[in-house]
Amino acid sequence: MRSGFFKETIVEHIHLTDSRLQRAWILIGLAVLLTAPLWLNFYGLSLVTLMMITAIGAIGLNILTGWTGLISLGQTAFMVLGAYAYAISTETWGWPPLLGFALAGIVPMLASVLIGIPSLRLTGLYLAITTLASSFIVNHLVLEFDGLTNGSSGIFVNRPVIFGYAFNSDASLFYLVAGFGILAILLSLNLRRSRVGRAFFAIRDNDNAARVMGINLSAWKIYAFMVSSFVVGICGALYGIFLSFVTVDGFPFLLSIEALAILIVGGIGSIAGAVLGAIFLVGLPELLGMVFSFFGPEVQSLLATSAHEVKGVLYGLIIIFFLRLQPHGLMGLWSDLKRAWTIWPLRY
Amino acid sequence: MTYFLDLISSGLAIGAVYGLIAMSFAIIYKSTGLLNFAQGEMAMIIAYVAWSISVRVEGNPFIVAAGSIGFAILFALIVERIAIRPMMGEPILSQIMVTIGLSVIFRSAVVLILDGLPHNMAVASGNALVDLGGVRLRVAQIAVVGCLFLAILAMWLFFRGSRFGVAMRAVAADEATARLMGVNIGRIQMAAWGAAAVMSGAAGVLFAIAYELSPALFHLGLKAFPAAILGGLDSIIGSAFGGIVIGITENLVGGYISSGLKEIAGFVIIILILMIRPYGLFGQKRIERL
Repeated sequence: MRSGFFKETIVEHIHLTDSRLQRAWILIGLAVLLTAPLWLNFYGLSLVTLMMITAIGAIGLNILTGWTGLISLGQTAFMVLGAYAYAISTETWGWPPLLGFALAGIVPMLASVLIGIPSLRLTGLYLAITTLASSFIVNHLVLEFDGLTNGSSGIFVNRPVIFGYAFNSDASLFYLVAGFGILAILLSLNLRRSRVGRAFFAIRDNDNAARVMGINLSAWKIYAFMVSSFVVGICGALYGIFLSFVTVDGFPFLLSIEALAILIVGGIGSIAGAVLGAIFLVGLPELLGMVFSFFGPEVQSLLATSAHEVKGVLYGLIIIFFLRLQPHGLMGLWSDLKRAWTIWPLRY
Repeated sequence: MTYFLDLISSGLAIGAVYGLIAMSFAIIYKSTGLLNFAQGEMAMIIAYVAWSISVRVEGNPFIVAAGSIGFAILFALIVERIAIRPMMGEPILSQIMVTIGLSVIFRSAVVLILDGLPHNMAVASGNALVDLGGVRLRVAQIAVVGCLFLAILAMWLFFRGSRFGVAMRAVAADEATARLMGVNIGRIQMAAWGAAAVMSGAAGVLFAIAYELSPALFHLGLKAFPAAILGGLDSIIGSAFGGIVIGITENLVGGYISSGLKEIAGFVIIILILMIRPYGLFGQKRIERL
């Protein structure tokens, strides 16, 4: 146990980690993740894949909501745009999947500029409403332009073939998603310790002070919107591939709520929190299914027939309980535990 | 011409529904600075309760009205006490998230507990058509417009005349000073939630009588956002006006342009308004001091 943190240069200060123990844990975690397809069954593998896709979306939203302090209910809109950009470019136009992924990031990024500009003068409440409005507008536009998007019947998405390698098996899809997940984590970790990340934090903590320090609020807010929606768009494309079908119905508004719930559960502003929250919230309905199965088949069939509603109640309750009892989320709980462990048996 | 008048008059009716819900947003926002994202869902639940009452009493309008108003107040007070009161003083993000959480719970609970099917709600002659010089409207549609005017009048008198209304205005103007003057903020918040639930409940029930009752009723809440923002979130009477404007615009767009655009007309208007006049037509311009 070290007694304190002693840093002499700024380079040391912004290192991602300087603890050997932490590096060892990261290596173990990576090893577990990369060997997962060997020891997980089909069901477990698809669950972990879904957790990782959700985590990518949460990491994207975290850049906007957690770091810059802009509340967004437009997560679904950006996911829909990303998924459709990927599906249309690869399936209808026959582009290579890597270009499709790039477009899946760029289209939501451009859309976010459109949504972000009216939001520049707005904070808190109003921003939540414009992003909410945007998610309905996007859904209707997708249905209106049915020549391009196939309307409500949707687009079938094949598994991607990248550099001649077909990601057909579930294990290979798992590795693809894991790759994107690690990229997203690295991107946001590095963004956090850069000039950009510090500007975002400054805007969140006190926008007037940030402005006085020479941060151009409009530019940086738009920038936060763009980076966030790029990542969320990629998440949407991956979700489309995972479902192997892209429709408006596949991306219900509940996804926006789910993403915010993940941030709250994990601890707002923390990348590890976003990942933990995603694991928790995606895993919870499965856990609930196991609990329900004790009560007999009728209760279990309720979960199967109205999964959407059960999830809705669950997400709502979790949001309220965490905000009431543990506002700093799982990460807050973890740091409380760490503190208690360090100073035990004293109380403080 | 008749087509145009039809669109205008039914737009007025639906606009009055939006207006009532937008007034509910405004009264809660004005007294506590919180936007209740669950307002549309509360209207839906009250409409469902009114429907359950109406089925049992064969559509006696007085029992249904008394029952649903009583339930609305009770429901709002319970929600306020359990979920909202403990969050007082927390950051605005947390407070908004609590109401969003409530909205998902209500929305899903109705489908889980009752069903997702549309129902016909028959109360007295609410469904009957009335001919007003060539324009045919349902009784419930006329009633909802009447309700809106009644609500506007009541709010105006309440905020001008009553002691409680003045206290509410004081809280809106400056919470800390109002507290120092001995205003009980908790009671103000309770009153705001109760009044909001009654207004949005009336909107929900009358909408259910005029059209149909289904879990999609909560969309009324979403449609009322543009109305509240058009009028200005802190202006209760402005919100009512905003509702009527949005209702008529929506109907005209649906009638002359396309029905798909009708659904999003309100949201497009929001984004335009927020670009031009972020504080709404009647809202107070916020001057921030550094």
